[in-house]
Order: sequence, then C-alpha cells, then structure tokens
Amino acid sequence: MRWFYPAVLVAAVVASVNVLGQTGSPAAASYAAPKNKLGQPDLQGVWQVLNTAAWDIQDHAAQRFPGLQARFSVPAGPGVVEGNEIPYQPWALEQKQKNFANRLEGDPEAKCYLPGVPRITYMPYPFQIFQFADRVVILYEYLHATREIFTDGSRHPDLPVEFWMGDSRGRWEGDTLVVDVTLFTGETWFDRAGNFHSPDLHVVERYTRTGPDHLLYEVTIEDPKVFTRPWKMRMPVYRRHEPNSQLLEFECYAYAREETDPSLN
Amino acid sequence: MRVKKPIRASTEGFTLAVVLASAISSLSMVQAQSGCPAESALFHPCALARAATFPPPRTLDGQPDLQGFWRGPASGTENIEEHPMTDDDNGGKSLIVEPSVGKVPYQPWAAALQKENKGRYIEPNVPCFPSGVPRSLYVPTQIEILQTSDNVLILFERAHTYRIIPVVPRPHAGDRIGLWMGDSRGHWDGNTLEVDVTNHNAKTWFDQAANFHSPGARMVERFTLIDPDTIHYQVRIEDASVYTQPWTMAMPLRRNKEKGFRLLEEACHEGERNTDPLIRAGQKIYPGVKR
Repeated sequence: MRWFYPAVLVAAVVASVNVLGQTGSPAAASYAAPKNKLGQPDLQGVWQVLNTAAWDIQDHAAQRFPGLQARFSVPAGPGVVEGNEIPYQPWALEQKQKNFANRLEGDPEAKCYLPGVPRITYMPYPFQIFQFADRVVILYEYLHATREIFTDGSRHPDLPVEFWMGDSRGRWEGDTLVVDVTLFTGETWFDRAGNFHSPDLHVVERYTRTGPDHLLYEVTIEDPKVFTRPWKMRMPVYRRHEPNSQLLEFECYAYAREETDPSLN
Repeated sequence: MRVKKPIRASTEGFTLAVVLASAISSLSMVQAQSGCPAESALFHPCALARAATFPPPRTLDGQPDLQGFWRGPASGTENIEEHPMTDDDNGGKSLIVEPSVGKVPYQPWAAALQKENKGRYIEPNVPCFPSGVPRSLYVPTQIEILQTSDNVLILFERAHTYRIIPVVPRPHAGDRIGLWMGDSRGHWDGNTLEVDVTNHNAKTWFDQAANFHSPGARMVERFTLIDPDTIHYQVRIEDASVYTQPWTMAMPLRRNKEKGFRLLEEACHEGERNTDPLIRAGQKIYPGVKR
C-alpha cells in the first residue's frame, strides 16, 4: 500500500484546492483516516448532520411553515448547494415553485415515505455506518431505512426496477467512499421546500473523514430531465458522542396511523 | 422498490410490495436438514444434541460465523401455537417447546384479552409496522445476518427493518424507551450468540392470532449453528405480568444458498392499501397493553 500513498496525497491536495477553497478548511487534505481491520478508511460509527438542509437545501431565512404552529417554523440556515443555485430547466423551476406552495401536503415526507438519497442523510435523525469486505451498510434511524452499498465491483442491475432509496454501488478512492446511486423512483424530494428530481436521477456521494469526529459528505446530482447541468451539495457530518447514543426508532407512518385512530388519543 | 412486472411476491397476502423473483429460490421449509425434523418439538432436542458437536466456521474475528441469508418457519406468523389449515391459514405445528403442551402460558385475564383482541384490532403487520422480536425471525421474509467485531446486524427484507446487536458490553437503553424492535444486547456464549432483548413497545403481536406480551417482557434469544446451513433459534420469554411461567420457542432458520442473492427493498407502507378499509370497518390500531 505504501507506494500508493503519494498518489492519494496528491489527489487529496488537488481536491482541497478545488472543493475546499470556498470554505477555507484544509482539514480533508491533512487528515489521514484511521484504517479498520480490512485496511479501509474507518467510517464506522453513529453520525448526524447539524444543519437545516432538511427544511431547504438552499439559503433560507427563518419563516413560518404554512399550516403548522409557529413553534414548528423553519429554522434559518445557509444552503448546502454549491453556489446556492439549483440549475432547474424553466418548466422544472415552475414545478419547484408549485411544490413549495403545496409543501405541507405534497411533500412525500408528509406521507412518511422513504425519503431517498441524499435526503435521508441530512434529515434530523442519526445513521450508523458498518463496513465489510464487499459492502458498506448504512442503517438510518428514520423508518429503519437500510442501504447496502456493494463495493465488490458489481454494477447496477440491468432490470426494469426502481427503488425509493436507489441502488447503491460503491468503491474506495483513497480515503473516500464513493457511491454511485441510480434506479430511483421519481417520487421523492430533496427537502421540505419542494426541490425535486425525476426517475432519471443519478447521485454520486463521497464520504471522507476530515477528523476523528467529522465526515465531509459531498453529493453530485445529475438529472438531464430536470436540470440544465449537474450540481453539488456539500456538508459536514458529526459523530454522535453521547455515551448512550444509539439508533432508536422513528416510525413516521405508525404515528400517522395512531393520529387517525381516536381510541389512541 | 417497484418493478414493472411483479416478480417476487410477498408470502403475506396483505402487502402489495413485490420483489424480484430472479433472486429467490423457494426453500422447502418442511424438509429436514441435519437429520433433525422441522417440527419444533422434535427439532429442538435434536438441535441441542447437534450443537454440542458441530464446530462452526469462524469469522476473521474468531466469532462463530452466522453470516448469510436465512428464512424461518413461516407458519409461525399465522399462529405460534399448533393450528389447522383453514381458508385463512396454511396451518402448522406449535413453535413452543416449553411448556411442552405447546401453548402460551397466559394468566386467565391475558388469555381472555388475546381472544378479544383478535377481532377488535388490526393485525399490526397489516399497516407494515415492524414485526418486532421474535416475530421478525419467522414472518415470511428474507433475513440477512452480517457481523463486525462489535455488532451483529440482522437485516429483514420485510418492511426494511433491522436489528443492531452489540456484542461488546453496553447497558440497555433507558427503560422508558419503548421500541418496535426492542433493544438488543448480545454476547458469545461458546458457539452461541445469546441476545437479551428488552425495551419492547409491545405494539407488536407474536402472530396473526393476537398472541401478545407487555412492555416489560424480557426475551433471551440463542442463535447456534448446528450444521453449515441451519441455525437453531431459541427464544425464552419472561413477562410475569402476562404469563404464569417463562416459555420458550425453538425453530430452524434455513440458509438460502442461491448465488448472487441480495435483499431487495420492500417499501411496504408506500404500497399498503389494506389498513384504511379495516379502519372504516371499525377495527382499531392495536394500542398495546400497559406494563
């Protein structure tokens, strides 16, 4: 492995110039992730974002969420989209605006559906990463969502099939887990603000340790039916440090059922 | 997950989720392996004897290697007790090996409540709620076991639930935290994975017959390989507020050896259409019993 190391370093430095130039943080380039027993960069643990992308992946001021009590208003947040603009085609921008107007009812999250990728990563619930020789498994507290990311060199299935969470194929690139995700439904959104995609969505995720307790999560979004060009999101993810932290449960649809049953209230 | 034509249909009739057939072979669940009969009352003593002599393969960490794809005996999800074939049920023998009569040893009030609940409430698996422990092991589904140094993962295709079982010392979650899948803490007892399961929200049933437990139930499971392709699964259930004595189920989990097999995405809730008509017909969501 030693011979490979300078190449990894060069790649990481280049990445830091391109990617991190805007944030001014050189952490990704200078930090060498510890390796697990399999020799992979060790990404294992319980992780969670600390941002407001779940409400809106773009810059947004605090604001009322129509239909909810004031205390459930949207918290302000800087966007996680590179350059903040999402390159919608003109019809798609109109659709996004319609989605925004109709977000209380129209958001698939309102029906407690599986939220897709990358949205599940920046929902306000923890997830846990487990690594194996031939796959990475990510388990999410939200809805018991499960992803098996095959890293055995296999390809996406050539079948007429679509997945709410996509089909994930990964590879290790230096210290980064790169995941190619396709075969999505067209029924998930990116956030509670109506940002959306078609079934042609193609997601490339990059997970990189930038310190003992931080991951950098980078996503490239491609969908020629909806956008004029590929675009990117980027955010840090934080390790949950509470000694009693573990994945619990958030069975959204079960609470919806209880709500419709007066005997339970 | 959605396919343009249905290829792998769920064996539970109420879910509309469909999954890929190319990936499954239908295992014969009655076929005896290890020379041990499939019926729990006969399988259990036979498996105990086999477990004493079978040396399991090991992971790189030296743990007995339980990894792979498995299936439990599907008849248990109809009724864990012996039940006949009817218009609704395929029928099957009891999964209960202790007490030897094969019946849940209910206190009288609990026996009465079980009968009432069956007609009053919607079977909790119909709205795609997680099946809980131990039902997740014998609900008709595909099961995948994966092991790291610190955790055993059990992934269930049905409604994409999972269990994370730490096998390093770690206290249970606080006792006010009720969970659909319970809170699992494991350790290796020789060649056996022993798992202590508490923190049940008790909104699940053992089966479609409304057999139930309370949030105070403690379950101790034992997973032991008795040959390369069979796990002896036992679960002892203690719940002094509901039963007159602890009781135990035992059953085989059979390996699915199909090459290239993988779990698929059973987006159960996303396609579920049976609960609303039942609610309109006056049935209720099962609220569980108080401790």
